[in-house]
Amino acid sequence: MLSYNCKYELKLLLRSRWIQLLSIMLLLLFGFSIYNGLEKVEKRKRDITAAKEEVKENDAVMLKLLDSVEGGMEVSASPWTIPTSPMAVGNYHPRVAAMEPQSMAFIATGQADLFTHYVKPRVSGDDSALNFAEMTSPVQLLFGSFDLAFVIVYLLPLLIIAFSYDVLSAERESGSLRLLAAQPIRIQSWVLQKLGLRFFWLSILVIGSLTIIFFAVGLNPFTEMTGFLGLLGLIITYMLFWFALAFLINLWVGTSAKNAVALLGLWVVFVLLAPSMLNQLGNTLYPMPSRTLMINQMRDLKAEVTKKQDEILDNFLRDHPEYAINDTTQYRGFYHRYMASQKLVKEELAPVVDKFEGQLQKQQDWIGRFKWVSPAIIVQESLNQMAGTSTRDYENFRKQVVGFASDWRQHFMPFLYNNQDFSQKDYPNLPKFQFEQRSSASFGVIPVLLLIAIALFGLGFTVSRSSKKGNILTAN
Amino acid sequence: MIITNNLTKKYGEQTALDHLELEVKQGEIYCLLGANGAGKTTTINLLLGFIEPTSGSAFINQLNVQENPKETKRFLAYIPENLMLYPSLSAVENLDYFSGIAGKKLSDADLKGFLAEAGLQTDAFGMRISTFSKGMRQKVGIAIALAKDAKVLLLDEPTSGLDPKASNEFGLLLQKLRTKGVATLMATHDLFRAKEVGTHIGIMKDGSLRQQLVAEDISLSELEQAYLNTMEYKELVL
Repeated sequence: MLSYNCKYELKLLLRSRWIQLLSIMLLLLFGFSIYNGLEKVEKRKRDITAAKEEVKENDAVMLKLLDSVEGGMEVSASPWTIPTSPMAVGNYHPRVAAMEPQSMAFIATGQADLFTHYVKPRVSGDDSALNFAEMTSPVQLLFGSFDLAFVIVYLLPLLIIAFSYDVLSAERESGSLRLLAAQPIRIQSWVLQKLGLRFFWLSILVIGSLTIIFFAVGLNPFTEMTGFLGLLGLIITYMLFWFALAFLINLWVGTSAKNAVALLGLWVVFVLLAPSMLNQLGNTLYPMPSRTLMINQMRDLKAEVTKKQDEILDNFLRDHPEYAINDTTQYRGFYHRYMASQKLVKEELAPVVDKFEGQLQKQQDWIGRFKWVSPAIIVQESLNQMAGTSTRDYENFRKQVVGFASDWRQHFMPFLYNNQDFSQKDYPNLPKFQFEQRSSASFGVIPVLLLIAIALFGLGFTVSRSSKKGNILTAN
Repeated sequence: MIITNNLTKKYGEQTALDHLELEVKQGEIYCLLGANGAGKTTTINLLLGFIEPTSGSAFINQLNVQENPKETKRFLAYIPENLMLYPSLSAVENLDYFSGIAGKKLSDADLKGFLAEAGLQTDAFGMRISTFSKGMRQKVGIAIALAKDAKVLLLDEPTSGLDPKASNEFGLLLQKLRTKGVATLMATHDLFRAKEVGTHIGIMKDGSLRQQLVAEDISLSELEQAYLNTMEYKELVL
């Protein structure tokens, strides 16, 4: 039966123009979404390059100024911006801490439209003042990004539904099912073979279209073989899940209209409802403390600390005698007091910040535990991880930036408290930020999706075997 | 070839088929006559294993249909009232597909041979079924039965909607199959065709077989009278 189904299913699909239609749609959808993704990545790269260029230009100005000052010349700059002051360098000549896009970044925008890809930590800023949020168009946030992940997670299931909802019901409605059922075959096996063949042809079209589009936009899938194969594996197992659902609906439901409604209902549940409900429940169970309240607390604390800056500075110097010993001038100005108080502010704020971050972590853990209720969630998450745009990737970036901000601050402390001027020879020693990517996405979800699909196929067989014989021939 | 023993089918309180005792031997054409709802299609559905009997049993080629649903279908061919084939496939392709999934691998020449034997014109072999008349589709159905080498043929009102010429051709094809030893059970409303092609005729009413006649022993008018008597339509005769 399989060889005849293979032979004639392809003929039927070609003659009904399904294959041609699907090929064109997939090429258009993949082409447009990958082009969109690449445009975003290019913009991100351009922004980072521009920020780095700006730093280079500022550094050139800084070195010129230092050269002039060290040569004993007068410079026409505001006194507080002259780079012999370490605080001037730390505040007005920050480094760029950038999150370079990964090679597969174009497949999923993920959190990239919410978070910025570079920050410039300043010596007088504190960690919580580091702004990671991106100014994004609310309209774009409302409709989401038309990237490859969107096509795979949202649109591909709709194509599968259109391609598979009436495999059995169309035969029943046209009357050919009775003739088929009079042959020595099991209708369940026949439906499975028909769906299996449609799954096979759609997989071929997806692989072909993606490969063509990759080459067309100048990407060589063979240079990123693991990522490309992982991407294909993920798409194909996700497709298999939807074909398994179509198998169940074909056997259980009835008329073509009912099948279509049932499958679209499942699409709404898995793709739209489950993720948003999970998110809502996470927010309800682990509500985020007010960020405004946290900022107000921070301001109050800073105001309080400002009143006691002399006392704080004394305590700070007692804890750091190396600064008091090495300095002969013993000059203590605004920045000496400010930087000493920053440490205290950070310690005092730790519980508030920890609470905020703790709740965020609990929300993420909650979603992590229940993400398995919808394959759409795990596929989206996996695609984000492949692209390096997942929440974890941005959290990783944030932590690295906070670490670098601390290094940047600490680098200038000895200069400040020893009242030592910054000079040209100190320039090469300025800390540099090097972003370290998380290890690439694991493909553990692929076998899980495969198992879910197999379980659904098994369920279809078991239940249809135990149901009454006439059910398949007569629509419910 | 076809035997039913006390075959009964009930849907709740309603009896669709009541203790049917029937036998169709090799080379016989048994025509089941009856009004709509008499139980003719139910009988065929039970013999095809599409539905399960409430009680009793049905046998095809000595195999119990309910116990061997797949095996019994190897020996039978079925032509419903409206034979729906794949409209975008040609006659040869449809025949190849249906005989193929039934386990018969046939060459192109064989396929064309069966279509010719079923009376289909040669120039229609490669045409898509969507362009076929009902009579032509029924011929493809016969070709499927021939290709499958069916021992039993189940027909559910196959001549309804056919013009007299096509209906006559179909009758001749059934006669041809009869000479090959095929046992045919045909449910029909067509008394004339039943008398013409049938060897035996059964008249059903309300799920039970009320009369069994040998076709050659009666004339058409006697058959008509027997049918009307069974249906209790006496007043209409006047």
